[in-house]
Amino acid sequence: MTAYRALLHAEWRLFLRDKVSLSFTFLFPLLFILIFGSLMGGIGDADARIGIVAPGDDGHRLERIAAETGRIQPYPDRGGLEAALEGRRIDFGAIWDGDRLTFLYDSRRSQENYAFEEVARGIATRFDLDLQGVAPVVRTAVESVGGRGTTKWLNLVVPGILAFSTLSAGLFAVSGHVTGMKQRKLLDRMIVTPMPRVALLAAVITVRLAVVYLSTLITLVTAILVFRLEFDVHWLHYSLFIPAGTLGAMGLGTAIALVVRQPSSAGNIANAVSMIMMFLSGIYFPVEIMPALLRAVSRAMPLTYMADALRYATGVMDMSAARFWMTTGALFGFGVSVLPVLARYVVRADRR
Amino acid sequence: MTGVVGIARTHLVTNLRERVTLFWFLAFPLFLLTILTAIFGSLGTPNPTSLSVSLVNLEPRREGPADFAAVVEEAFAHLGASDTHGRDPLFHLRRPAIGEDPQEFLDRERDAVRIGDRALLIEIPAGFHQRLDAAIAGDGPGAEIRVYTSGGRISSDLARSIVDQVVAAVNGRILSAVGRFDPSRALTVERASIGSSGGDPLYIDFLLPGVVLMAFFTAGLFGVPGTILFGRERRILKRYWVTPLDSRRFLVGFSIGHLALCALQFAALLLLGRFAFGARVGFASPTAVGFLLLAAVVFLAFGFLISSVARTANAGMAIANVLNLPMMFLGGLFFPIGELPAVLRGIMFINPVTYLADGLRASLGVSAATVPFVTTIAVPLIWAGVCIAVASRRLRWDVER
Amino acid sequence: MSERETLRVTNLVKHYGSVHAVDGVSFSVAAQTVFTLLGPNGAGKTTTLEILEGIRRPDAGSIEAFGERRSRIDRAVKERMGVLLQDSQFEPYLKVREVIALFSSFFRRSLPLGEILDRVALREKESALVRTLSGGQRQRLAVGVALVNDPDLIFLDEPTTGLDPQARRTMWSLVSDLRRAGKTIILTTHYMEEAESLSDYVCIMDHGRIIAEGTPRGLASELGEETFIEFDGRGLSDAQLSALGSAGRVTGAGGELISLETTDLAGTMERLIAWSKRNDVALRDMTVRQPNLEDVFLSLTGRRLRD
Repeated sequence: MTAYRALLHAEWRLFLRDKVSLSFTFLFPLLFILIFGSLMGGIGDADARIGIVAPGDDGHRLERIAAETGRIQPYPDRGGLEAALEGRRIDFGAIWDGDRLTFLYDSRRSQENYAFEEVARGIATRFDLDLQGVAPVVRTAVESVGGRGTTKWLNLVVPGILAFSTLSAGLFAVSGHVTGMKQRKLLDRMIVTPMPRVALLAAVITVRLAVVYLSTLITLVTAILVFRLEFDVHWLHYSLFIPAGTLGAMGLGTAIALVVRQPSSAGNIANAVSMIMMFLSGIYFPVEIMPALLRAVSRAMPLTYMADALRYATGVMDMSAARFWMTTGALFGFGVSVLPVLARYVVRADRR
Repeated sequence: MTGVVGIARTHLVTNLRERVTLFWFLAFPLFLLTILTAIFGSLGTPNPTSLSVSLVNLEPRREGPADFAAVVEEAFAHLGASDTHGRDPLFHLRRPAIGEDPQEFLDRERDAVRIGDRALLIEIPAGFHQRLDAAIAGDGPGAEIRVYTSGGRISSDLARSIVDQVVAAVNGRILSAVGRFDPSRALTVERASIGSSGGDPLYIDFLLPGVVLMAFFTAGLFGVPGTILFGRERRILKRYWVTPLDSRRFLVGFSIGHLALCALQFAALLLLGRFAFGARVGFASPTAVGFLLLAAVVFLAFGFLISSVARTANAGMAIANVLNLPMMFLGGLFFPIGELPAVLRGIMFINPVTYLADGLRASLGVSAATVPFVTTIAVPLIWAGVCIAVASRRLRWDVER
Repeated sequence: MSERETLRVTNLVKHYGSVHAVDGVSFSVAAQTVFTLLGPNGAGKTTTLEILEGIRRPDAGSIEAFGERRSRIDRAVKERMGVLLQDSQFEPYLKVREVIALFSSFFRRSLPLGEILDRVALREKESALVRTLSGGQRQRLAVGVALVNDPDLIFLDEPTTGLDPQARRTMWSLVSDLRRAGKTIILTTHYMEEAESLSDYVCIMDHGRIIAEGTPRGLASELGEETFIEFDGRGLSDAQLSALGSAGRVTGAGGELISLETTDLAGTMERLIAWSKRNDVALRDMTVRQPNLEDVFLSLTGRRLRD
């Protein structure tokens, strides 16, 4: 049996036996989707629920107008409205007393209120016109180009999480797994044999690639089944991107392992880096709502581009084909070019 | 107090000296506070972001004052200009160059929207005035402003909502101009809110207590089992037991050290929140302090529970990792809980973090309590009690049999 | 029990299921002596010690310490004890003096920091973090911590295992100093030389029992007036060696260390030299020695101390 095959077997068995690693790799992405999908799910999804307190004929007008952009529920008085808002049975309220129009919000729902205020503005404008007997004479007609017409926030989140899985897999393969072996002097033990370092690297890479491909697939399928999402996966693009992304991430992991003195710190640094990237790469909060400085920072993160590429590969969002292949190629190229550095400088004994 | 002070000091000092702990217990909460405030604190303020938008007017010019297509175009162009403070305009507006074929521009820009180079394309189509005139006369549905969005892009959605607002304003102007709408009789619109006393709280006021709780939570979830389990495995603890220091005194000292660490976290976050982000929330009330203390104690007890359940240090860390995110996010620490599927609701109800966050925020006046006051204290206390009860019976101080 | 006995153990038993870790062990430790438990790994030495240190409960047996019967090793006893555990560590991010100060705070009486540092020669490392110390330095720190309360009774569990020869010698001289200062020391080891050179009294343990006890000289002399002649048996055939059998009891085969046991040194030497001339053998690395504790153990169990 060649060194490569023997190492491959060993790496595979080791991975399967490490229950902790196993659950991290397969369960975590699902957990993320569940949580973040539920939390931010309000953005742009169902129509807002509007509570209305509006007696009289004008009140009916208000109800009619509000019903055009939301789901309305009438209430007899403000007290009832406030209780409903408190109990989250409605998203915001509109009160018309014949003189002024008051919109009522729950100040605790600060993330969602800006969207509700937008709806409220639209209602106010049309109601204003309607009170004087006119209807709007200009309206917007929306046409969606590219991607899927109706995209839920979750459709955007899932590829982002797949990207994060890919990044983590590659990153920790080096700054975690290999450095762990170095720390435990396992590498020392292997290097004094004729074992070719490339064989070890190849074995590690093979296992990681297989695992990440599998886990992202499982995550995707689960998301489709559990949340009834729709994707339009371009399998060629997807299958080429995942390995490229993993290799690119391994390159990043190598960079960390080179910079850090102690092998044990590499894993911690990788952890911190991936956490920070997670927040700044538009995976959980859209990049567009970040202030200019943070948007610029997010453009410096590889994860941002990985997430976009996967959104393209799963048919959620459109981009120029050139951009996709450039991203894929850059990741692949970076990873591959760093491999010799990895073999020479990281896979070596922990001596000065 | 034989050795209790020494153990407390040791616990505090070693946590501060170890870089990893320092990162996760101090640096990370500070980072999180900064990031979340930067992102969400700016929502709803003027010009939180700048969007790349194209506009093409296909309607030929009309002589006279009633060139409403031009009015509409002007309205959008206005958004493309920097405001008086020199901030980035809301729209980075692109229009066809002089002499450029508008139709070609339209086709090219539509493709740009598709691949994400533009957030949105606005088209004032040919025939705009004809349909507008008809609508003013009462005939027909009115003129259209066509908007091309990119599927799956938040920037498109944001731009579109801004377009909606502009169109609404434009309607008002056009109808006033033709005398159908009297602006002096315009509607008075007001805004009110429930859930806070004295004005809308800033996001930072809502977030700061959440991040403080998160910091306490992380310290309890990871720091406590980490120290105890690794201490047990490395026989650091065993060395104590051959001295007059008994496990009870050790626990007291350990707890004091842990609470001191929490106090440090709180101080750091409060300083950052107040001086960097203008947080106004005041923690000086006894109820608020009580909640903070309760939270620190509950999470400490939770850490003991994990220490008594896990057999090895690695297992303990794994358990902590699995519990970390669900309990944190499903406790309403960073975002108010919206509509959740039933399973997640269930987690929310038994999660002590939910109650502590609710009670703390209520006592600080940043939001009204959704849960009765008594419950916000009772449930965490019960948690603490159960954790301590289980831990005191199960916690092994020695690795050996 | 007299005050000249610091510790007396009677029929101590500790079972773990079917494993008899400590199987009816009895001994007494005279005051101001070095008492050693010698035995291979797994003999039950550490278990015995840990029972005496109070971190394990015996299944049966009695312990008398400092003149009193003790049902458990309580605080009063611990105040007078110092312990060097076999496998424990200190908090890696504490400084040396912080470790000593911490442990000092556990006792009612403690020695000044400077005195402890000097005793174990760690002055220059006073402000160093534990994680930066070498193996030998950590062991010295551990000894220092064992001495913070100026104990009358000191337990040293395998104090030199894993240390380099230099560090080992330092440890031995520390032990001698402590004995001279009037401490009672209970020591466990599997190194014969350590038992021989340091101890006043030795108990040899195997499989949870004491199989022999006495002074090092006394134990060795129980083997009789034996002398051992040893030499390198490389390149020798079994046939040649069997011819040697008439000179004395031979252990070892071709290629190993050959040991010739005899009570008649002169006679055996003559026959040995004659044999070497006849067989044209060069006697390499030849030593003549008295029996040692290794030999005692071998004769009692048929196994070597070092497995």
